Amino acid sequence: MPDVVETNGLTKRFGDATVVTDVDLRVPRGTAFGYLGPNGAGKTTLIRMLLGLLRPSDGTMELLGRPVPPERREALARVGAIVDEPRFHAHMTGRQNLWALAAAREPEAHARIDAALERVGLLARADDRVSKYSMGMRQRLGIAACLLADPELLILDEPMNGLDPAGMLEVRELIRSLVDEGRTVVLSSHLLDEVERTCDAIAIVDRGRVVLQGRLAELRDGAAAVLRLECSDPARAAVLLRLRADVVRVREEDGRLVLELATDDPRGETAAIAHVLLDAGFELYRLQLDHDSLEERFLELTTRLGAAA
Amino acid sequence: MSVRLVRAEVLKLRTRRGLMAASLLLTVVATVAIELILLVLHATDPAKHRIVGGISHFNDGLYSLTQLATIAAVLVGATAGAGDLAAGFFRNLVVTGRPRASLFGARIPGGLIVMLPMAAAAYVVLALFSFVVPGDASTPSATLLVEAGLWFELYIAVMFLLSLGLASLLGSRATTIGILAGLQLLVTPLVQGLHNPGVGAESVLGLALWRLAPKEILNGAPAGHLGESLAVALVVIGVWMALALGLGTWRTVTRDA
Repeated sequence: MPDVVETNGLTKRFGDATVVTDVDLRVPRGTAFGYLGPNGAGKTTLIRMLLGLLRPSDGTMELLGRPVPPERREALARVGAIVDEPRFHAHMTGRQNLWALAAAREPEAHARIDAALERVGLLARADDRVSKYSMGMRQRLGIAACLLADPELLILDEPMNGLDPAGMLEVRELIRSLVDEGRTVVLSSHLLDEVERTCDAIAIVDRGRVVLQGRLAELRDGAAAVLRLECSDPARAAVLLRLRADVVRVREEDGRLVLELATDDPRGETAAIAHVLLDAGFELYRLQLDHDSLEERFLELTTRLGAAA
Repeated sequence: MSVRLVRAEVLKLRTRRGLMAASLLLTVVATVAIELILLVLHATDPAKHRIVGGISHFNDGLYSLTQLATIAAVLVGATAGAGDLAAGFFRNLVVTGRPRASLFGARIPGGLIVMLPMAAAAYVVLALFSFVVPGDASTPSATLLVEAGLWFELYIAVMFLLSLGLASLLGSRATTIGILAGLQLLVTPLVQGLHNPGVGAESVLGLALWRLAPKEILNGAPAGHLGESLAVALVVIGVWMALALGLGTWRTVTRDA
C-alpha cells in the first residue's frame, strides 16, 4: 500500500534559521504514526507545511498520493487536522463551531456532526459555549472537527496536551479505534511513553532532522541488547570486557557497568561474560539483560546530536 | 460562492451578543430613542419644539443615523474580517483545503446579511417618524424615501466592506476600528468643514458617498458644497472598494495561518 504521507528533502528556513532540514518522511497507511521529538524540534512546522499553512523553502510533499500544494484541496478533503492547541470561537457552542467548519467541507459533513460529537463523548455538552469547555474537552472537540471530513488521514499535533490520565487513555483508545477502521493517524508528541503506547510506527525528529524512522516493532527488534552488571572493581572489569568482540560499548553508570551487545545470542554472551569475570576473580553481584527502550534510544539520539551541534 | 459558508459567517456574527447589542443600539435603538425624546419634548413644550417630522427633520435624522450606523458597520466589518483569526479558527478553516479566497468571499454576503437589515429597520423607524407630527412642513415623498433608503443602504454596505477589507488586511479588529473611527469621525468632518477643501478632498470616501445621495438630502448636507462630479464620486468609491477588498483578499490568501 502506498504511504499516506511522503516528503522528500522537505526544508523550512526562517531567515538564517533552518527549522526543518531535508526531511524524508514516510507514513504507512493504516497505522498510528508517532512523530516524536523534543519541544522545538520542528514538529509543528512540518505539520503546518503538510497542511499548506506554511510554504516550504525546499523539497516536495505528497498527501494521500496527491502532490501538495498543486492538489492540496483534493488531498485535504480527506484529511482532518489539529495544529497546535485546538482553538474555536469561544462565544459559540461546540455544535455551532462544528457547523461552521462543516460548511467549509463537502455537504455530507453536516450530517456527521452528531456522530462525531458522540464519538468523542461531547454530545451531552454540545450546546454549551466553548468558553465553558476544559482543555480536554477542546481537544476532543478538535478530534470531532477532524472526523467531519470522514478522514483517511488524521494529523493530531500534541493531542494529549492538557489531558488528565483518564483523558489520555480515552484519546489513546479513540486513536486506536480510528486506526482499526483503516484510517491513518499521525500523532506529533514529545511524550515518549504515549507514543510507545499508541503508535505502530515512529519517526524521531531532532533539530529539524528525522534521525530515525520505522515500525516500532522493527525498531525494538533492531535495538541493541544492553547488559547491566554490578561487580567488584568495575573500572578494571570494563577494560577486560572491551576486549570482547560482541561488546560494542562499555560505560560506567552509578558504579555499574552498562554493556551494549551486538550479537544474535545476547543470552549466550551474557553467560560467557559471567564466566570470564568469575574466572578472572571478580565478584559478580548482579546481571540484567535488556533491550534499549524507545525512550533510551530517543534520549541517546537527541542528546548525542545535541552535543555534537 | 458557497451558501453554506455564507450561512456560517452569519452564524459567527449573530452569535456574538455584544456585537449584536452594540449594532442594534447604534441603529434601531438609537433612532427610536432620539425620536421618542423629540416626541416627549414636543408634547411637553409644543411652542418650542414645534414638529417631529417633515422633510427637514428626516434629513437631519438621516445624517445622524448615517454616522451612527457607520460605526455599527465598522464594528461588524472588523469582526467579520478579523474574528476567525483572533479566535484561532482561521487555521481550522484553512486545513479543510477550501480556497482561502472563497473563505474571504463568504464574509462579504455574510456580513451584509447581518448589517443591512439592521440598518434598514432603523431607516424605516426614521421614515415613519417623519410623518408623525410634521406640522406645516412637507413630508418626504415616496420616491425620496425609496431613493434615500437605497442610498443609505449603499453607504452602510460600502463602510462595512471597507472595514472588512481593512480588518482582513491588518488581522486586527481593534486597529481597524481605531483607523476607521478616526477616518469617519475626524478626517471626513474636517474636510467637510473646509471652505476650500481642494482636489485631495475628493478622494475622501465619505464625501464621495454623500455625493450620491438624493438631491433633497444633499441640499444643505455637508458634502454639498464640494462640487464633486458624479463620475468622480463613483470612481472614488470604486477605487476604495477595489483597494479594500483586493488587499483583504490578498492578505487572506497569503497569510501564514
